[in-house]
Amino acid sequence: MGVGSSHGNGLFFRTLTEKQAEEIHLASCQVLEDTGMVIHHEEAVELLRQAGAHVENGNRVYFPSFLVKQALQSAPSRVTLYNRKGEAALHLEGANVYFGTGSDTLNYLDPFTLERRSWRQEDVANAIRLCDKLPNIDFVMSMGLLSDVDPRMINREQYAIMVQNTEKPQVVIAEDGDTLLDIIEMAACAVGGKERLRQKPLFMIYTEPTSPLQHPKESIEKLLIAAENGVPANFACGGVAGASVPTTIAGALVQANAEALSGLIIHQLKAPGAPFIYGYGNSPLDMRTMQAVYGTPEAVLFQGGAVDLAHYYQLPSWGYAGCSNSKVCDEQAIAESTMFTMMGALQGCNIMHDVFYMEFGITGSLELLVISNEVIGRTRRLLKGINTDKESLGVESIMRVGPGGNFLGDDHTAKHFRDNWFPDLSDFNNYENWTANGSKTMIERARDQIKQVLETHQPKPVTEEVKAQIGEILRKAKEKVGEKA
Amino acid sequence: MSDFTSLAELVINGNYNGAKDLTQKMIDNGNDPLEIINQGLMAGMNVVGVRFKAGDMYVPEVMMSAKAMSTGIELLKPLIADKDMPTAGKVVIGTVKGDLHDIGKKLVVMMMESAGFEIIDLGVDIDPAAFVKAVKEHSPQAIGLSALLTTTMLSMKDTIEALKEEGLRDSVKVVIGGAPISQSFADEIGADGYAADAASATELCRRIIA
Repeated sequence: MGVGSSHGNGLFFRTLTEKQAEEIHLASCQVLEDTGMVIHHEEAVELLRQAGAHVENGNRVYFPSFLVKQALQSAPSRVTLYNRKGEAALHLEGANVYFGTGSDTLNYLDPFTLERRSWRQEDVANAIRLCDKLPNIDFVMSMGLLSDVDPRMINREQYAIMVQNTEKPQVVIAEDGDTLLDIIEMAACAVGGKERLRQKPLFMIYTEPTSPLQHPKESIEKLLIAAENGVPANFACGGVAGASVPTTIAGALVQANAEALSGLIIHQLKAPGAPFIYGYGNSPLDMRTMQAVYGTPEAVLFQGGAVDLAHYYQLPSWGYAGCSNSKVCDEQAIAESTMFTMMGALQGCNIMHDVFYMEFGITGSLELLVISNEVIGRTRRLLKGINTDKESLGVESIMRVGPGGNFLGDDHTAKHFRDNWFPDLSDFNNYENWTANGSKTMIERARDQIKQVLETHQPKPVTEEVKAQIGEILRKAKEKVGEKA
Repeated sequence: MSDFTSLAELVINGNYNGAKDLTQKMIDNGNDPLEIINQGLMAGMNVVGVRFKAGDMYVPEVMMSAKAMSTGIELLKPLIADKDMPTAGKVVIGTVKGDLHDIGKKLVVMMMESAGFEIIDLGVDIDPAAFVKAVKEHSPQAIGLSALLTTTMLSMKDTIEALKEEGLRDSVKVVIGGAPISQSFADEIGADGYAADAASATELCRRIIA
């Protein structure tokens, strides 16, 4: 059994045995072959037909199992995302773990006025700027759905804000193929050309089937554009157990896996070897409230299963962390988000999104974001495990200090205490000092940190030339969507 | 236990095979069809409604009960004149143009049917003209528009405009729902109501149709 840490000696958690992974794989292949999928995209259907799939009624496609094998063979086992400077930032491989925000929440929990309100452009810019500063937030998604731009321009405007407010890599959502093409243009401007973007991708695209077993035209369109342009892509079912996927964890895995594999097949047929991130999510339907809920124990186990399947297939994995169903950043929010973050890390999920999601993803909280930044820091320390080299065993130090001595004044302590984790937000003061500092709770300290970052942190800007180019792409897009209307 | 009580029990327990058999037996024994519905099937469903509200029954169990009720109703329908069939109202529902998502809408349909509404489900990717046509054809008291995508929710406004153009807007209530939808959006586009989830959609329709 491998271990969850890139350092080789950390903590690790495995959800499925090798045999269970194979059982799920075979069941998914059966679904692909016997039930098939409805694919609302002619080119994709044609690609599949020519590759040997059986097609009925024009768009019902049955996938023979050899297509799965073929796609798994050509798909790379590792994908790297780069930052805006062109440095390798996220090595999506093995059991490396990275964390980032989610996209498109409807409401912003304003940390200063405490209102729950729609997002404006300046809010998203601030939120992304905060992410730029937080050391444990490795990538960004759009966070908020913009209420103050043309609805058909939202994803483009979000991208322009993201790329100008952080150098970190992004995961993007695009309304359709045209939007994705414009986002590719903007990213290419920021990194110095399309060829450079292809070689060192700054973002990945999140596309999805409509479960159960349907592929909308726009999703496939984006998948094919991504394959052609070397933009890393996933094809991630956002299952709702008990509604769009089966209520059992295993059944949900079987169907979501089948959907992801069908996306992979189309993607690899279009461009063999193009970068693909395997994964999907599951927000089980609460049978009392009819809400699709995040981070239930079953959802966490489901992710463990999905990640084990990714390891079984030797594909990079995609998942969730740091999200909650709570309406405000309270005890429930921290309990749910922390459990998901820590379990996701132990599962070795390569790229986890939705950190800062509240209310099933309808609302976003910057307080939850900065608290999660701290939780991720703790978790990362856990993943490093226990070093047992001679220096760490410290026998010489124990001999020096001897019975009744004190390690505080020993060289070994001075040399190594900084290897340990230090809090940024957690309070380790005694009661007197805590009250002297204003008796602040963690969420109050989180708000102070947000305020301080937003007042002082300026991310590295893009050049004036890039800024102008992005402005021009947006202007042309506005014309285009205007014409369509 | 009377047959009526037994039938109600079968509905409460979601035993649809049992409910079907007993309904047939009661028909054969010459019971009044409307009494079978009101004192047997609906009586059971009313208990289900109370238990669901109290949190003692969950939605999948309610679905099984609704299925038990409808297997009985299917047998009884031919024996009852249309105008005598008890119904809470007629609602046309669909996911708007450009949107293929229908899990949430299906939940609404199931919940409303189990509450006694007659639902005409147009499916997904329904353009304004198709809603207009359905309103003309079925004369529902309300139409329900669903969208999951922020891009497709704009089609809700187009649908309301189309109803106005055809002079149908005053004859039918328009209710909307879906993840990106809010009360303020409903107000903005001039919908009659917004429901945040399937259970409240049923309540909403009851309220605005009454």
